[in-house]
Amino acid sequence: MSLLEYQYFPVTRPNKGAGGRTGAWRIVKPVVDYNKCIGCKACFMFCPESTIVPSNGKVRVDYEYCKGCGVCANVCPVKAISMVNEQ
Amino acid sequence: MIRKVISGNEAVALGVKLARVGVTGIYPITPQTTIIEKLAEMRAKGEIETEIVRVESEHSAMAATFGAALGGVRAFTATASQGLLYMHEMIWWVAGSRVPVVMVVGTRAVGAPWNIWNEHTDFTSERDSGWIMAFASNPQEALDLTLQAFRISEDERVFLPMMVGMDGFILSHTKTNVLIPDQEQVDDFLLPRRQPYVIDPEDPIGMGNIFPPEGYMRLRESIDLALRNSEDIIKEIGREYNKKINPLGDYSTLNVSYKLEDADYAIVLMGAWAGDAMEAVDTLREKGIKIGMLRIRYLRPWSEKEIRNALKDKRAVLVLDRSTSFGRGGGPLYVEVKSTISDIVPQIKGVVSGLGGVTVNKSELLYIFNKFVEGLKDDVIWYYPKEVGKIELRTPRDIE
Ligand code: SF4
Ligand code: SF4
Repeated sequence: MSLLEYQYFPVTRPNKGAGGRTGAWRIVKPVVDYNKCIGCKACFMFCPESTIVPSNGKVRVDYEYCKGCGVCANVCPVKAISMVNEQ
Repeated sequence: MIRKVISGNEAVALGVKLARVGVTGIYPITPQTTIIEKLAEMRAKGEIETEIVRVESEHSAMAATFGAALGGVRAFTATASQGLLYMHEMIWWVAGSRVPVVMVVGTRAVGAPWNIWNEHTDFTSERDSGWIMAFASNPQEALDLTLQAFRISEDERVFLPMMVGMDGFILSHTKTNVLIPDQEQVDDFLLPRRQPYVIDPEDPIGMGNIFPPEGYMRLRESIDLALRNSEDIIKEIGREYNKKINPLGDYSTLNVSYKLEDADYAIVLMGAWAGDAMEAVDTLREKGIKIGMLRIRYLRPWSEKEIRNALKDKRAVLVLDRSTSFGRGGGPLYVEVKSTISDIVPQIKGVVSGLGGVTVNKSELLYIFNKFVEGLKDDVIWYYPKEVGKIELRTPRDIE
């Protein structure tokens, strides 16, 4: 028998939370130069916000959650990440 | 099936064994202690494989049981009195999570003052928590209801925890003849455990996390609907139990009527004193007084239909409470019954008695029933079988 219509359970799938969203206060954001990036994923390892996402052998930044701290730009061995002004 | 002279607590422990419970979260509290002692003994002898998790409080006992149930195994715990109150938070947490768990409550008075004897206030104070709540009236029923509890709680139309109440000492420690089913019979009756979701590191889910207001309210409504719909499922499972396990018990109804059909007067009560009440009813019947009894076996779901049907066209109804609802002028059963039948029964009276282990046997019940038939003046009375001595209060000492 299928579950009856009245059944409802307090379960969710893990997802990004609204709480970690950066909002409008970030001043600079990291921009990856894909011509330079060698795909070592050092930025991915060091990003304190887990907002560097490995993608197609290189990396992508999730700007919704990136705080603009610059850690990624500092750890990049080939200086592929530059922090550019948001405005 | 064999017949054995055992106590209510032993009967429950055997039920847990027969249900092949995977994890038991335990913390001892009188009068439930011998349930877990018996389980520990069976475990030491290698008769059961149940994982026994010893914890440091009842709150943890329910938490450990809850965790095991979420992990996908049949889980059991038992408690009483202050222990049940200490579990209170986790009791709501389990019900709100919609996860099947079974618990037995060896009911007992709640302090202060300290009192280890029987009453039902601990049990009845959980009636709004979302658990299915049955109450046994003898050790046989304690075993039968424990077995049925697993089946009911794990039914996909229900998916709610269930507690079985049992009068502390009166049932928990008194030995009577109990029919113990064979393992094959129980295996045939209990289906493999089902539950709405499991925690699994391979397939992570978040449970019990924050829910927005409308989602939360929808969950509350689903608990209410699942509880109310469980009435038919309990009857269905009860009929199957009669057929497969105990043909001598009758579990095809939620509540139990005794000589009610032609009765003018009806007594409503719950628990072990039903046996004495039946004898008192017989004695009054011999004197030509048409009186009957309705024993509430399920406090939740509350079978409005069954209760109205059983008590319709009665001249007067007397509700006996072994628990209190302070400030309301009667016990919880009185309030429930009154709200159920006040439009069809002209006179509804209540008696609160038997609290904290006060002895109420056939002779005390006969006295109460006689007074009721004569026409109790008050709507609710507190009945003491003995005189209570006055205790001089101490006044605070003057401090300079
Ligand atoms: S700027 Fe900071 S937060 Fe944003 S991607 Fe780089 S390390 Fe992560
Ligand atoms: S640290 Fe620099 S090179 Fe390495 S993956 Fe990140 S952006 Fe590319």
